[in-house]
Amino acid sequence: MPITAFVVFVISSAIILLVFGVVARSTNAHRDVNYARANRLRLLFFVSLGAILLIFLALTLPDLPYPVEASAPERIVLATGKQYAWSLTEGTSPTLDNWDTAFSPTINVPTGAVVEFRVTTLDVNHGFSLYGPDRHLKAQTQAMPGYVNRLRVVFDQPGTYTVLCLEFCGMAHHRMRGVVEVR
Amino acid sequence: MATVASTITAPGADVHRTPLIRVTLVWVLTALVLFPVLAILGLLMRAQQGGYLQSTPPEVFYAIMTLHGLGMVGLWFVAGMAVISVLLANYVKPTTAVSWIAYGATLAGVVLLLAATLIGRLGVGWYFLYPLPFHSGGTWPPWATASLFAALAIMGVGWTVWSADLLFAIARRYRLSHALGWHYLSGATTPDVPPIIIISTVSFIGVLAGLVAAVVILVLVALEQFGSGFTNDALLIKNLTFYFGHMVVNITMYFGVAMVYEVLPAYTGRPWKTNTLVVLAWNLVLFLVMFAYLHHLYMDFAQPRWLQVTGQLSSYLISVPAAVVTIFSTLVLIYGSTMRWRLPSVMLFLGVMGWAIGGVAAVIDSTVAVNTRFHNTLWVPAHFHTYFVMGVMLMILGTVFHLVTDLSKVPERSALTKTIVGTVGLGGYGFLLMFYLAGVASVPRRYAVYPAEVAVGTTFAKVSLIFIAVLLVGALVYIWETGRRCLKAFSS
Repeated sequence: MPITAFVVFVISSAIILLVFGVVARSTNAHRDVNYARANRLRLLFFVSLGAILLIFLALTLPDLPYPVEASAPERIVLATGKQYAWSLTEGTSPTLDNWDTAFSPTINVPTGAVVEFRVTTLDVNHGFSLYGPDRHLKAQTQAMPGYVNRLRVVFDQPGTYTVLCLEFCGMAHHRMRGVVEVR
Repeated sequence: MATVASTITAPGADVHRTPLIRVTLVWVLTALVLFPVLAILGLLMRAQQGGYLQSTPPEVFYAIMTLHGLGMVGLWFVAGMAVISVLLANYVKPTTAVSWIAYGATLAGVVLLLAATLIGRLGVGWYFLYPLPFHSGGTWPPWATASLFAALAIMGVGWTVWSADLLFAIARRYRLSHALGWHYLSGATTPDVPPIIIISTVSFIGVLAGLVAAVVILVLVALEQFGSGFTNDALLIKNLTFYFGHMVVNITMYFGVAMVYEVLPAYTGRPWKTNTLVVLAWNLVLFLVMFAYLHHLYMDFAQPRWLQVTGQLSSYLISVPAAVVTIFSTLVLIYGSTMRWRLPSVMLFLGVMGWAIGGVAAVIDSTVAVNTRFHNTLWVPAHFHTYFVMGVMLMILGTVFHLVTDLSKVPERSALTKTIVGTVGLGGYGFLLMFYLAGVASVPRRYAVYPAEVAVGTTFAKVSLIFIAVLLVGALVYIWETGRRCLKAFSS
């Protein structure tokens, strides 16, 4: 998807550059503007832009990442953030009092299973992100104090997935990590 | 009213503007000093991300990041306000003393921020997401957090008074319904209200609405810190924070656009009059800008789903008036005109183009399904640096050059104009491309050091240093040329 988004961006930018270039060159020779024609062109632009945006809305809104209640996940992983570590556990999550003994930076999940990460934090906001073996971002959600965000992921490919923090959380933000082993 | 106003000596000029011009020149000179300093901080950050300056501790990187972000957002907001106020003086009478009060408040805030970040090593990012300022992990002392909030409070008061004064100045001449152009919607064409009045009115209402959110944040945080047992709702504070931050950044953009409406006609020789479309567009913007901020919270899954959909819908819709009315009209204004291509007109033209390109990148990122892959990667600074550096910054600096050249009567040198445009264009888009490519490669933003999984970010940062250096050359030539005109205008 990032590549598709980039291609859309490059094509759009090229069109903008072309149009601005044509308009800049047009000032080499003075001509009066036909405002009736300009307004027709504006209407066409409005309709085209509106159509493009509607198509993008229709194509992308069904892909909302938020879990629906209709189906139950096959595995539930409790992901808890704390400056500057991720704990990935099943059953119970660590607290501030037992963090050192109860936290686990690694968890194993099966390939192809629907895994629900229940993401929260014990201190500040963090960003729970899953980077695949290909080093690209697969999925993410925020970890907020007092809230549990549920992120569902199906790991199609086995391998080591790294959890990084994607919401700036302080001095060692870039070192905050966890590991999901998909077997 | 002059059909092609926009110069500081336009018909209708009044003696009251002279002291206002002086305080505006002080604002401009201050901005010209702070801008390269803050830009160099950005260069240092990319250098550290590129694997240089390895001995610099990460907490210094994050303190510099905080200063760079807060500084740039604040700098272009106040620069926009200052320039808009002097352009508005073609039509209304802003209070010079209020501009000085805002200047004093801003300076006091800057001193507090410098102390918090450079001495206290406060590293919270420009939007200081609650409750991070209170969880330093031993990195910064409590006084640095207090200093941050004191700075925000002082600057907030100064900017509120400033915005209110400019809004009152408009209200003294135009009824609110006229200032928002509503009479055009019923077919009336009198009173004739120039676009800058409508855009400014929308902007100042937006500023005040944003500052209300900032006050609520400060009160809630104070209640938690000094109250007994009161705990804030993190999602509520996050909504308020992004509502405020998004509003301030967008309003700065609108200031730049208002300058395009006001100044560009002086170079095309064609007037830019208010019509029904302009009124519809800017009233729609005033409504939609209240909701567009929601796209910052897509990854907060606890946010109600209907708000997430509203975020995408309003972010898409707000691009329509910008593209169909302002950008399209800019092109019609220029097409086939006897355009005088001077530094101001080139910068305004390129600024609109940068706004359009950055806008496309922003709309892409405001798609929830895409945001899951781009949120808090370097795609985010890519798009906001596009419409800031290559958009609003060019619009404001172009207008500043227009004003100081007019005041100082120092003629423009075409060789230097070409140097500025060439270096800023090449350096600007080159450094932005490195951000975009890194975003596509999933490189996170706000990392002092890249771990192995995203080590490719180091290469993009290294290459970007070359382009930032080129950009800085252009910026310094501009600052030299504008600074000497500014000083001459000030002493005359």
